[in-house]
Amino acid sequence: MFGIKISLFSGAKTLETKIDSFHDKVIDAAMMFNKSITTYLTEGRSENFKKHNKQLRQIEHDADQLRRDIENRLYTQNLIPDLRADVLELVENLDKVINRFDEVSYQFYIERPEIPEIYHVRITELVGQVTECAENMSIASRSFFRNFSSVRDFSQKVYFLEHETDLSSGHLKESIFDSDMPLANKIQLSTLIDEIENIADLAEDCVDELLIFTIKRDI
Amino acid sequence: MDLLFLFFLSSGLFLGWSLGANDAANIFGTAVGSKMLRFKTAAVVSCLFIIIGAVFAGGGTSATLNELGSVNALAGAFMVALSAALTVYWMVSSGLLVSTSQAIVGGIIGWNLYSGYETDIGILSTIVSSWILCPLLSGGIAVIVYLIIKNILHFSHIHLLRQDSYLRCGLLIIAAFGGYALGANNIANVMGVFVDSSPFQSIYIDGWYFSKTQILFLLGALAICIGIFTYSQKTIKTVGNNLMSMTPTIAWIIVFSQSLVLFLFASQSLKELLMEHGLPSLPLVPVSSSQAVIGAIIGIGLAKGGRNISWSTIGKIIIGWIATPLISAALCFISLFFLENVFQQKVYM
Repeated sequence: MFGIKISLFSGAKTLETKIDSFHDKVIDAAMMFNKSITTYLTEGRSENFKKHNKQLRQIEHDADQLRRDIENRLYTQNLIPDLRADVLELVENLDKVINRFDEVSYQFYIERPEIPEIYHVRITELVGQVTECAENMSIASRSFFRNFSSVRDFSQKVYFLEHETDLSSGHLKESIFDSDMPLANKIQLSTLIDEIENIADLAEDCVDELLIFTIKRDI
Repeated sequence: MDLLFLFFLSSGLFLGWSLGANDAANIFGTAVGSKMLRFKTAAVVSCLFIIIGAVFAGGGTSATLNELGSVNALAGAFMVALSAALTVYWMVSSGLLVSTSQAIVGGIIGWNLYSGYETDIGILSTIVSSWILCPLLSGGIAVIVYLIIKNILHFSHIHLLRQDSYLRCGLLIIAAFGGYALGANNIANVMGVFVDSSPFQSIYIDGWYFSKTQILFLLGALAICIGIFTYSQKTIKTVGNNLMSMTPTIAWIIVFSQSLVLFLFASQSLKELLMEHGLPSLPLVPVSSSQAVIGAIIGIGLAKGGRNISWSTIGKIIIGWIATPLISAALCFISLFFLENVFQQKVYM
């Protein structure tokens, strides 16, 4: 009986560490994305940018492995049966955000968009908002496991930042289409801005579900 | 032990079997239904403690039933238990909430009326007041425990997965405590009426003394265990989820409150301790575990702001309170007449 008890606690402890590491990966991906796009804006497709892209891909790969491991352990060790489906969905949602960071950065690598310097500050600002939004989503999600009363506080920050990204991307696209750039460049830039902004939308969707999971978790 | 005794005892054993089949859902239904515990683990632990509770602590409630009506003929005891069992069966199939305790009390009153023995109104009013007190007490305990646990979870910041591990241990402990309380409190319903007519002899096993009543209670506890193993899994799947579709933490609180109430109404040593210190004590009366569970559910519902309270369930409880003892008493009275006059059995001394 004691053997069962010890294995029950150690299994939970291992999974606890893995879930924490997974949340770390979301923050790592957000920071690396910020670094990658800022490097692209200042240096173009430089060696540094390629290095950051590679690092981002590695984070995404590690996160995928962690996600599979978490899903596997939740089922094989029969942990939190009543909330298992919610936790799996939450982890999937977080993983989607990590994937988008990697995909958008890679899109910059592939498409090599020409971005006039006058837009650099506003794009940096937009990327900063998206990064912060994803970070707050990760903190909200982490709180779901430990301190679910603060999930709402961080979710509110996500909602605020998502709204800010909407405004920033709207103004940015407006000024791009007001410029003398060729239409092809305008459309390319506009699409990339949408892609960046969509990451905040994904974070918002994730937080929406998280709040429902929190209501379900509350006794 | 002759075959006739076994035949007459069968109604009590049947009552025990149905108690195990129905009431196990109250102890570990949600834990098994939500896959927090395996059925076999929960059932084995509960059964072990039901036997311990029944054999070592079942005397108190049984003595109270005996004070209400000392059924002194085996055929009479058979009919009291059978009337209770049939009432329970009929009420369950009619979708009404039923208590084995109320059915057996009704049966005993029916026997008293038929045999001409006087029913002790003082004891009867103690028993009836305990039926009202049981869900109220369970509800009160549930509210207090709910608020304590809610605050602990709010301020302790224990990881969800660790909470899950603690909860599993808690559910296993509560399956043991719930089993003990059920055995101690409800064995009187199953075997109480046979105490006076039991043909068993007291025995010594390895220096342990077992009275004839304890042997009788052991048989009753085994019948409850058979009910758990043969039928309760079905009950948990069908009825259990309707009654308790809730989180495992809430389920733990409900089972804890229910078990504590059953324990309070069954523990002789606690009663003596309270009386020694001049504190008010609870009577040792068999009470309904289902009604204790519903009291706890309503208590938590009120603590949460009165949402999701099924007032129709409360209506069913009240109907059950009134109807169960009346039907059982009437059925017992009529059946005793037939048993004595048609089958020529001695139903009272």
